[in-house]
Amino acid sequence: MTHALAALDAFKSAAPQAGDWASILPEILVAGLGVFALLQALTLPASGRWLIPAVARVGLLLAGFLAYQAGESEGARFGGLLQQDASTHLWRQLFLLCALLTSLVGGRFFRQRGADEAEFHHILLLVTASLMMLAQSSHVVTFFVALETATVGLYVLCGFLRRSAASLEAGVRYLVAGGLSSALLLMGFVLLHGVAGMHLPKGADPLQFASIAAALLGHGGEPLALVGAALVLAGLGFKLGAFPFHGWVPDVYQGAPTPTTALLATASKSAGVVGLVLVVSGPLAPLAAKLSPVLAVLAGGSLLAGNLAALGSSDTKRALALSGVSHAGFLLAGIAGLVTLRSQEGVFGAADIALPIVLAYLLAYVLGTFATMGALAALPAESDERRPLVALRGLIRRSPSLAAGLTLGIGSLAGIPPSIGFFAKVLILWVLVSAEAWTLLALAVVSVAVSIHYYFSIIREATVRTAPDGEVPPRIPLLDRALPLGLGILTVLLGLGSLIKAALG
Amino acid sequence: MESTTLAHHLLLAALVFCAGLTGVLVRRNLLVTYMCLELMLAATMLALVAFSRFNGTMDGAVLVFFVITVAAAEVAVGLALIVALFRRTGAVGSDRLDSLADR
Repeated sequence: MTHALAALDAFKSAAPQAGDWASILPEILVAGLGVFALLQALTLPASGRWLIPAVARVGLLLAGFLAYQAGESEGARFGGLLQQDASTHLWRQLFLLCALLTSLVGGRFFRQRGADEAEFHHILLLVTASLMMLAQSSHVVTFFVALETATVGLYVLCGFLRRSAASLEAGVRYLVAGGLSSALLLMGFVLLHGVAGMHLPKGADPLQFASIAAALLGHGGEPLALVGAALVLAGLGFKLGAFPFHGWVPDVYQGAPTPTTALLATASKSAGVVGLVLVVSGPLAPLAAKLSPVLAVLAGGSLLAGNLAALGSSDTKRALALSGVSHAGFLLAGIAGLVTLRSQEGVFGAADIALPIVLAYLLAYVLGTFATMGALAALPAESDERRPLVALRGLIRRSPSLAAGLTLGIGSLAGIPPSIGFFAKVLILWVLVSAEAWTLLALAVVSVAVSIHYYFSIIREATVRTAPDGEVPPRIPLLDRALPLGLGILTVLLGLGSLIKAALG
Repeated sequence: MESTTLAHHLLLAALVFCAGLTGVLVRRNLLVTYMCLELMLAATMLALVAFSRFNGTMDGAVLVFFVITVAAAEVAVGLALIVALFRRTGAVGSDRLDSLADR
């Protein structure tokens, strides 16, 4: 009985405090908009349906503004279910940016193919809200539920073109990969929570990230804890599409509708990164010395496997998917560097700058990916899942603006100066140098050199080769042409901006 | 109660989990694959309840409810996808799915 009363007190202390709800206002807004999109679909006449994406986009901008306003506010929310700090608000803005760009790329794409735009925005907004929750979770329950809500939404978006066997097949394959990943992740957390429960004093919450870390500090070497940590890493590796868990990536990226592919490549990969960052700096922080070699192997493997497989690919979306695996390698290398730096310096220090660098790399990757995928989505194709490289041939004649957007986007993904992608890669290499991870550094440099080959074969098809004669230039709406071009130019401008800033500072 | 220990429960959970994992990796029928995924989740729930009982904490038992809810949502979407795919292609064997390949 006394135990139950103590539990009740603990429950009361975890009840929301004043300000808790206000601190998740952007998430409430985005999720509310998601539900509102369905309401609009029910009530609006056919002539007013353009309002649905418009409202969603304005709402995303507003949520981004709110997240920006939150600035540096930090602290535990909802009795330790959530933990906000300065980086939380950056992650939120990154996810909102991904959602906004997906909405812009996807609006006309789905309308043309007879899929429901309202449902698309509904699921997109709910996925975004839960990814934003994931970025601030500090408890196994919030972490797992947020990640799963996002993943289940992504299954739907993968199979969104219900008339296309390829889209459905991509959805099912993602379902199996995602289900496997969540089962591994959950089992990992269960074992960690079990170890924490054995060693923590009564009353401590063994699902709290901080208490798991406290328990692992003394008992991190126990087999159960090590198996748990390995399973958590494997689960997140699936989400991230990292070697050796990247088998699903090319199939799913190829079959999914192109806007979903862009969302998977950016938001879902960012979710894997933020999840990994939270886990290695939270519950698994005491195991840093054991973690960094494992992360380094995953990173090196992803860099090699992604780039070597992409060399042999003749499909644009598959090549981009496999290049995404190597980008995951770069991100993992950054995180491995972060973990190494932290374990060397005890608490924080110069390791502080490694997290902003990973975020900057993701931003560059998001811009480059949406420039490329936006151009692909705008291009008319026989079927969305067959986009062979040769279909891009002579794009510069057919649509110069799309060719320019595609080229600039690919240039940024490849890391050609002066694009932002170049600086992002240099910064990750700098992290590796500071962490003295020489093997990983060498692998990263080699992989950049290898990747140039297939990135350039895409650019060559689009710009140099001439189109077959007698082809009528397609009519592509202004927005669809402006978006990839604008994003492409943005990657260069941001790159030049960082160059000037580096030269002055 | 003394005769069964935490280790027994965990061993059983590990066996069920590995059976599920093997099934996901080996079996070719999508429905069976999907059942194996659910088996893995069931194993995690068994481990959660065992930890909850032997550590004297309620947290694990509470997490089980979240896992059940999430698994239900996943099944709803997953079965919808599999049924839609079956209607479209007439196959539920993952070896007969060939829309996606590099060619």
